[in-house]
Amino acid sequence: MIKFLIKGLLRDHHRSLFPILIVSFGVLLTTVLYSFINGELNDLIDSNARFDTGHLKIMTRAYNTMASQMPNDLALTEVEKLILSLNIRYPDYDWTARIKFVGLLDVPDENGETKAQNPIFGLAVNLFGKNSKEGERLNLAKSIVRGHVPEKPREILISEEFAKRMNTVIGHPITLLSTSSGGAIAVQNFIVCGTVKFGAAVMDRGAMIADLSDLQYTLEMPNGASEILGFNKKNYYDPDETKIIKTNFNSLFSNAGNQYSPLMLTLEDQNELGEYLQYITVLTLVIIGIFLAAMSVVLLNTGLMSGIRRYGEIGVRLALGQSKDQIYKSLLYESALIGFIGSVTGTALGLAVSLYLQEFGIDITETLRNTSIMMSNIIKARISIASFYIGFIPGLLATLIGTALSGIQIFKRQTASLFKEFET
Amino acid sequence: MLVLKLAFRNITHAGLRTWLNVIVLSFAFVLIVLTEGLYDGMSEQVKDAEIDSSVGGGQFWQKDYDPNDPFSFETAHSEIPVDLKKEIERDNASAVLIASASIFPRNLIQSVTLKGIDPDQKIVNLPVTVLKEEQDTNAIPGLIGFRMAKSTGLQAGDYVSARWRNIKGTFDAGDIKIVKVININIPSVDKGQIWIPLESLRTMMQAPGQATVITFKKNLSRIPSGSREWIFKDHNYLLKDLNENISRKRLYSNFMFSLLLGIALLAVFDTQVLSIFRRRKEIGTLMALGMTKWSVIILFTLEGCLLGILAFITGFMYGYPILAYLAKEGIVLPRMIEQSQFAILLVLYPKYGLKLYIVTALILFISVIIVSFLPAHRIAKLKPTDALKGKLS
Amino acid sequence: MKKAPAIIIFFIITYTIIGFAQVPSGLDVLMKIDKNLVLDKAISYTTIIIHGRTGTRSIKSKNWIEGKDKAFVEYTDPPREKGKKMLRLGNQVWNYYPEPTDRIITISGHLLRQSVMGSDLSYEDITENRKLTDMYDAKVTGSEMINNRNCYVVELSSKLDDIAYHSRKLWVDKERWLPLKEIRYAKSGRPIKQSELLEVFSLENRWYPKRILYHDLMQNGNGTEYIVESVELHAAIAESQFTKAALKK
Repeated sequence: MIKFLIKGLLRDHHRSLFPILIVSFGVLLTTVLYSFINGELNDLIDSNARFDTGHLKIMTRAYNTMASQMPNDLALTEVEKLILSLNIRYPDYDWTARIKFVGLLDVPDENGETKAQNPIFGLAVNLFGKNSKEGERLNLAKSIVRGHVPEKPREILISEEFAKRMNTVIGHPITLLSTSSGGAIAVQNFIVCGTVKFGAAVMDRGAMIADLSDLQYTLEMPNGASEILGFNKKNYYDPDETKIIKTNFNSLFSNAGNQYSPLMLTLEDQNELGEYLQYITVLTLVIIGIFLAAMSVVLLNTGLMSGIRRYGEIGVRLALGQSKDQIYKSLLYESALIGFIGSVTGTALGLAVSLYLQEFGIDITETLRNTSIMMSNIIKARISIASFYIGFIPGLLATLIGTALSGIQIFKRQTASLFKEFET
Repeated sequence: MLVLKLAFRNITHAGLRTWLNVIVLSFAFVLIVLTEGLYDGMSEQVKDAEIDSSVGGGQFWQKDYDPNDPFSFETAHSEIPVDLKKEIERDNASAVLIASASIFPRNLIQSVTLKGIDPDQKIVNLPVTVLKEEQDTNAIPGLIGFRMAKSTGLQAGDYVSARWRNIKGTFDAGDIKIVKVININIPSVDKGQIWIPLESLRTMMQAPGQATVITFKKNLSRIPSGSREWIFKDHNYLLKDLNENISRKRLYSNFMFSLLLGIALLAVFDTQVLSIFRRRKEIGTLMALGMTKWSVIILFTLEGCLLGILAFITGFMYGYPILAYLAKEGIVLPRMIEQSQFAILLVLYPKYGLKLYIVTALILFISVIIVSFLPAHRIAKLKPTDALKGKLS
Repeated sequence: MKKAPAIIIFFIITYTIIGFAQVPSGLDVLMKIDKNLVLDKAISYTTIIIHGRTGTRSIKSKNWIEGKDKAFVEYTDPPREKGKKMLRLGNQVWNYYPEPTDRIITISGHLLRQSVMGSDLSYEDITENRKLTDMYDAKVTGSEMINNRNCYVVELSSKLDDIAYHSRKLWVDKERWLPLKEIRYAKSGRPIKQSELLEVFSLENRWYPKRILYHDLMQNGNGTEYIVESVELHAAIAESQFTKAALKK
């Protein structure tokens, strides 16, 4: 039976090729759209995660209650040991320490006296570690406006806008005045090796990126860090997995009675991202729902069309004595086959396009602005498990339902009047 | 003329087939308008919220004021010039004095920004009238947003000690009573700040009659010119970040737009190909009767166009009430996030301009013509004899 | 018994003087304190013990002092702090950070409000060089016992409007003329900072603080202890010691 159907489909291009093309195209569009929206969502999560929240974050309990103040006297200590045990316990995640701080950048004149002073926000990350992915994670190389990425200790990046305002020259020393973990004024010279664009106005007005160990030294935090971030090595935020790790970690390491014990948070626990994600997810579902409805109508239409188109053929088959049930069934099988082939092709093509968009993205630099640390200028798609079925299921079902609806007409036809139809 | 009549008759007599297409097309039309409207509405809503609760119709900033540099608050305050004072008296503007302070929630020091605002002001949409309703005269009434409440652990009814220095540098201290925590989706009026009555802050700072920012009523036709001391910041400046974000979002919505359009055109294309296939005998007959190939092509293209027109009419008929209803009542998001902090955005109000209708209609219409023409132009290769036999290469 | 009346008169006179002296004026008290605290030329060795949120740190320094207005501090321990220097001339402060930073930072503007080496004292607290009597009206308001020592209670209220602390209250040892306790108040009358003199020692013909405990009253920290290890009076200090050039030496 299936063999017969396939033969029919292969021989009658109009019966097979065109519907398959339509189904594939529709499924392709749906898949790409979904991956694209998923990519947008991912972009939001991603920029937050990369810059601020990680997929998981560890701070001390005390630091967490005042995190907005960046109280480095309450920071984590013995970070290396903690990271070591994190790596053993949760090997699927990349664990990395960071220090956040505020201070003043002081530009000296020829005599080493203060020429200009401006407040800054700073982020110290592991720039020179052998396996550190931080440079890449913060998109440093691509965000450089002038100069180069730090290559040796004491080299820092500052925002381009800030550099212009402070009138600093690349390669010149600049002094950071901050508050040490002991509360004293901490002072350290750095060399500005390059300028970057952060892509968030607050940062661009004054922010710097330095190496973690430099700041550990400057702020008197030996082996300390404001926070340890965990990033899924697959570079994908998995809400369920992070929740499990969080619960597990906190039950092992965290102690509500000790303000200095570490506390793990997921991405969603921070910056109201949980709520935002829920909100976006609902919106995504609405958009996808609307799109699927439209797609289904098109595919339904295709199903109906082919039913109408094959009116004559079905008449002949009825005249030859095939029962209406049999014809209806064979039509359904046929459309299932078309739907299946079309959906598979569509999904495959859609995934291919999505994969391309995931890897290379659409570069919107021309239309929008320059690449920055916070916001990638490349709109990227993101393939998830749902990408595999979001187009496939409606593709298959809509084709089937279309045929099922149009096929009902078969039962309305009178065998007796068939020949009259042929005569006309 | 004949072609047009024929096309119209063909369309109206095709029944189910026509209506399916019309439905798909009109559906796409309505959906494009809806999604674009949704994006526009959302952007507008966020922008409006920012204007309503923060920037008003533009602001005068004292020359030293830099919202990102709390150190600048030490000097960023001046007497309000006469012309601006007049606008404030006319309820066209409202003054805000800004100062740094330390508060001690949970016995830990935390720096905050105090913002003094007139509780009777009508310029920005913040429920600051509660500040004058507080009975406890020993404490300074304060209003905070939910983010601030979260980062300090303060709740309505809580007292917190504060320490500040007046403009002469003398230390002063007192208690602030949090009278209300508001759900507001504008971080710039929430994070790290406490709203207190303007006159209280002026007394605390020993800065009578002074201000840092003067916010104007929105849609005010005439705004006084600035001075060296007071600099006017318009929406372009104040909403720069927001606008950039919106233009980024727009790219996504354009992508959505083209995908929806793609789906609709797919339906038309599908119909055209099938109808040409089905009606090859008819094509042959028409040609045999002396119609030129191009007339036949035009006939089929016209049929496609008529589909488009019908779709607009239908779409308008059922779409308009739906769209209008949604614009008026808003799209209420499901309950699951009602608990969340996004109080304002829980109801989305789509917004559709005339431009949106016309642009969407035009793009759709032109695309329909192209898509109808594409399969039809194959007819040009057709031999009438073959067509009559029902052959279509 | 010819001398008797003279003795009586002597006694009467002495008694009267002492009797009058029992309630000295606020100005007198402040001057007597200054006489004890202000060193003409001296080198002292001190330790600051800071009880922070996360632990205790102590910092040792060698200090060159000349009168009220000149001070030069060189930190000697822990190794991290070694080589850092501070120069104060009147109300100006410069900090020097040794190699590799090798920078002199002017402590001015909001930096003055930063704490000195993480202690409960700000640079502003240590740079205020106007005389207390110029800034405040002082009044002796009573007597109280502090640490089993009989003290005058002296209340200071500001007579200028650009003063950090609107009012202060001192408990001054009646015999040794040192403030055993001081509270500084905000304009609203709320106590902000407190210092307690826990130990004193005699230095030639005066009493000098040995151990002082500072507290920020709005935070529940454990405060900062300031310990004077030793003082060399009449030290030979070159005038060049109190210059910016000395910072880089």
